[in-house]
Amino acid sequence: MLTMTNVSKTYRTDTVQTQALREFSLHIHEGDFVAVTGPSGSGKTTFLNITGLLETFDSGKYDLDGRDVANLSDHELSRLRNEKIGFIFQNFNLIPDLNVFDNIDVPLRYRGFTAAERKQRIDEALKRVGLSGRAKHLPSQLSGGQQQRVGIARALAGSPRFLLADEPTGNLDSQMAQGVMELLEEINAAGTTIIMVTHDPDLAKRAKREVHVRDGLIQGTDGN
Amino acid sequence: MEFGPIWRAALRNKTGIVLIVLQVAFTMALVINAIAIAEERARLMARPSGVDEANIFHLNSSGFAADFDAKLTIEEDLRQIRGMPGVQAAVQINSIPLGGSGWGMGLKTTPGPEIEGVPTTVYFVDEQGVDALGVELITGEDFAASDISWRMPATSEWSNKTILSKDLAAALFPNDPTYGVGKIVYIADTQPMTVVGVVDELQGPWSGWDNVEHTMLVPEHLWNKSTAYLIRAEPGARDALMPRIETLLADREQGRIVRDMRTMEETRKNSYELNQALINILGTTIAILVAITTLGVAGLTSFNVTRRTKQIGTRRALGATRTDILRYFLAENLLFTVIGVTLGAVLAIGINILLVEAFSVPRFSWYLLPATMLALIVVSQLAVLFPARRAAAVPPAVATRTV
Amino acid sequence: MLRLFEYNLKLAVKNIRRNPILSALMVAAIGIGIGASMSMVTVNYRFSLNPIPQKSDVLHYIRLDNWSADFPFNEGRNPPNQMTYLDATALLRAKHAYRQVAMSRSTLAVEPEGRDERPFFVDVRATTADFFAMFDVPFRYGTGWGADADDAAEQVAVLNTTTTERLFGDDNPVGRTVRLSGQDYRIVGVIEDWEPMPKFYDSSNGPTNSGEDIFIPWSLVVAKELPRAGNTNCWKPLEGSGLQAFLNSECIWIQFWAELRNSAEREEYVNFLNAYVTEQKALGRFPRPLDNRATPVMEYLREQGAVPDEARVLLGLSLLFLVVCLLNTIGLLLAKFLGKATEIGIRRALGASRRVLFQQYLVEAGIIGFTGGILGLGFTWLGLEGIEMQFADEEASRILVMDWNMALLAVALAIIASLVTAIYPTWRACSVQPAAYLSSN
Repeated sequence: MLTMTNVSKTYRTDTVQTQALREFSLHIHEGDFVAVTGPSGSGKTTFLNITGLLETFDSGKYDLDGRDVANLSDHELSRLRNEKIGFIFQNFNLIPDLNVFDNIDVPLRYRGFTAAERKQRIDEALKRVGLSGRAKHLPSQLSGGQQQRVGIARALAGSPRFLLADEPTGNLDSQMAQGVMELLEEINAAGTTIIMVTHDPDLAKRAKREVHVRDGLIQGTDGN
Repeated sequence: MEFGPIWRAALRNKTGIVLIVLQVAFTMALVINAIAIAEERARLMARPSGVDEANIFHLNSSGFAADFDAKLTIEEDLRQIRGMPGVQAAVQINSIPLGGSGWGMGLKTTPGPEIEGVPTTVYFVDEQGVDALGVELITGEDFAASDISWRMPATSEWSNKTILSKDLAAALFPNDPTYGVGKIVYIADTQPMTVVGVVDELQGPWSGWDNVEHTMLVPEHLWNKSTAYLIRAEPGARDALMPRIETLLADREQGRIVRDMRTMEETRKNSYELNQALINILGTTIAILVAITTLGVAGLTSFNVTRRTKQIGTRRALGATRTDILRYFLAENLLFTVIGVTLGAVLAIGINILLVEAFSVPRFSWYLLPATMLALIVVSQLAVLFPARRAAAVPPAVATRTV
Repeated sequence: MLRLFEYNLKLAVKNIRRNPILSALMVAAIGIGIGASMSMVTVNYRFSLNPIPQKSDVLHYIRLDNWSADFPFNEGRNPPNQMTYLDATALLRAKHAYRQVAMSRSTLAVEPEGRDERPFFVDVRATTADFFAMFDVPFRYGTGWGADADDAAEQVAVLNTTTTERLFGDDNPVGRTVRLSGQDYRIVGVIEDWEPMPKFYDSSNGPTNSGEDIFIPWSLVVAKELPRAGNTNCWKPLEGSGLQAFLNSECIWIQFWAELRNSAEREEYVNFLNAYVTEQKALGRFPRPLDNRATPVMEYLREQGAVPDEARVLLGLSLLFLVVCLLNTIGLLLAKFLGKATEIGIRRALGASRRVLFQQYLVEAGIIGFTGGILGLGFTWLGLEGIEMQFADEEASRILVMDWNMALLAVALAIIASLVTAIYPTWRACSVQPAAYLSSN
């Protein structure tokens, strides 16, 4: 479903040149739950950004759901992100001035769904993350764990091909983190592919597979 | 368009919205009323004086010497001025159209002090008056040389002939297709004058007077030491003629002062100076005001873009295209501006009612309302374009940055 | 504490410089707003000045309603604004007030002594002896003339400084003669520059009219048949022709002022006027009901509409303009400060008290407001210059002057404006909860 072949990415400033990913190759199949781990500076975030189509890469091939994304325009990349990828952010990235309903609504509007369909999808997503009845709440009125559930609901609502989670429990205490992980496992069990970037080995172990990145290279993969 | 979420998010920061809405509203109210005032003044200024403004100039001759002979001087002055090449016609006159000073009288169609007269300005001229002013006689006939008499100072006698301006004739003889030519009007309560002719348009000396279109010509020379000459040059000859006539008069008779020589164009300009000043001041005010407001709106958006960088990145990550982001800020601006101009329309009407009541400011034309609303919306949208483009350029990778 | 202030000042300057264009816009908006409103306030203030504060309560403009029974003057709103010759001379003769003057304007030609200098016209005020004492006219040389000069229609004159300098240079001309339209006048005095603003004593001329060049006894207007300038209004045709018919007519062309030192004198004088008019009614004059007035200076100016409508409308609009400018700057500052929520949160968490933060942002907003205010002074001056440029006549410049009162008012307005713009955004910024912005954005 997602295949990277020899993807490389180099950041250049006037003085420094950093190779963030070198000849990176990875295949992720339908229904997979992959944890991408590595210390900070390992190229994890670059991997995340490239996988999530937030950044372009210099060379190699990235095939997403049967489509070569290398030479797509900004507009096409935006469309792909919107349709295929559900983002879950470490800081939740909820829009503070919008209530839960409107936050989940954001990607659905860009998708061009009708109002009725949007409402149905939002209600469904909220039900899946156990927050039905919180639709009118503002992010600031929710706990961190609840905010991340809203983030997950937002990622799910558009029925993406996979979820891309960036340290999804990084800003949560262990109890809340536990809840969020269980929710992700549940979602994966129901058939949604999940790619999770984390530096936490314990968390990584709960994924089906672990890919360890160091210095922009895959150091090893484990099936858990 | 996502007006719903924009509106709900806006309610989270009410003061910010109130400030921008009020600013737009006050701007709108100010702009409309300023335009209304300027428009009215411009309308006044656009009225034709009726005279041949491009070719007329005038000057004053004031005798002061004890032995100064007014009648002799005037007769000789006119003879010499009229004899100069380039002079189309010249006339002694008591006051200049739009000149600021003059002689007001009341005319009646029925004699008697208890009858209310129709107010008018009097121009004393001779048989060259109509030609010198360059007004068009639309009916009846001009004065003949034999009609002209000499008017002594402080006399109460009036000539028995007059030529009226069309507006004055219409006020005296409503519904008369011949404008009362051949009929009698009464001046100074009881003295009869026959209307011998009617000229198309001829304004009085006071541009601010309600009855500025009411004027009458009386075939008399004024036996005054101080008098004005109004000279109509042949096309193109005016500027060369002016200094020559000034020198001619000053040199010819030492016991007088020749002064205040002006072209009719200057006189018109002086007459409407306050109106022109008002139009300029209001125009400058509108320009600065709109500039401040639009720059303010742009600045506000710019700060908001900075504040919402993370949010914009998130939206981009979630699938918003650059156009979506641009459209978001335009929509947000559109929403506030529309509320602003709507409130502004109400304010504008309110202020206008106050102005109409307190000062004779005109009610503004209805079309100003939609026109100004539309113009402000367009300008405001253009102003937002710049910061909105900055917003659209925020890279989606901002979403995954932790700080 | 001082060091903290210094630190805050540095931070503020740094913050202001971080958005140079928008900071400039905020400053300019306040400046332009103050400039626009202060120029119009100045114009209105100049028009509504008390031209003679020390005597404005005792000087009274005298009006009698001699107008037509059928068509009242000014639609009956107030009595005729000038007086007839018959009444002015009668009131002068009665000497019923502490002081009184009758006067009118004329234009005469001055013939300088040197043959090579051309004659020129001067504005002449023909008035009676009390004029100079009544209106507190300051003298440089000599004095006014006495009542006997009025009675005898003596050819005496008082000159203003401009005319004196033009004719005699720096010499004291008292005792010398000036030739006016073919007649010699003996100079008895020279007044200092005296230009009451507005020119209240003759409302038939504009409030910005400059003062007259030469003053002569009013009795000469008739004795020498001097030309009359100013306005003449008649409601009734002359009976007969010639000067005498005009003098006996109901035409108004004279200003009459009386000095009445207290309300008792004023009341008494109005009674006297009513008695006089009642007496005249018996002679067939004054067909209208009694409406005789002694109006103090400021009341008279207000009634005459000393401030032109245009100036009042512009004042209103300019104050709205200021409101827009302030809203503009408040909005910008608010948006800017709210964008700093994260920074504020961090500072709060690092131990900055709300008071210290308040000070920091107040300093930043205050600098913007204050700079705008100073700029506003400049814009006020520029605005007045700009308005003056619209008028060819120099008289406009008499209105468009910024005096100390106005400068102080502008400074006060600038301070108020900067406080208004600074306090709300600062307060909002400092209401940020320290925790709220640390965990997420």
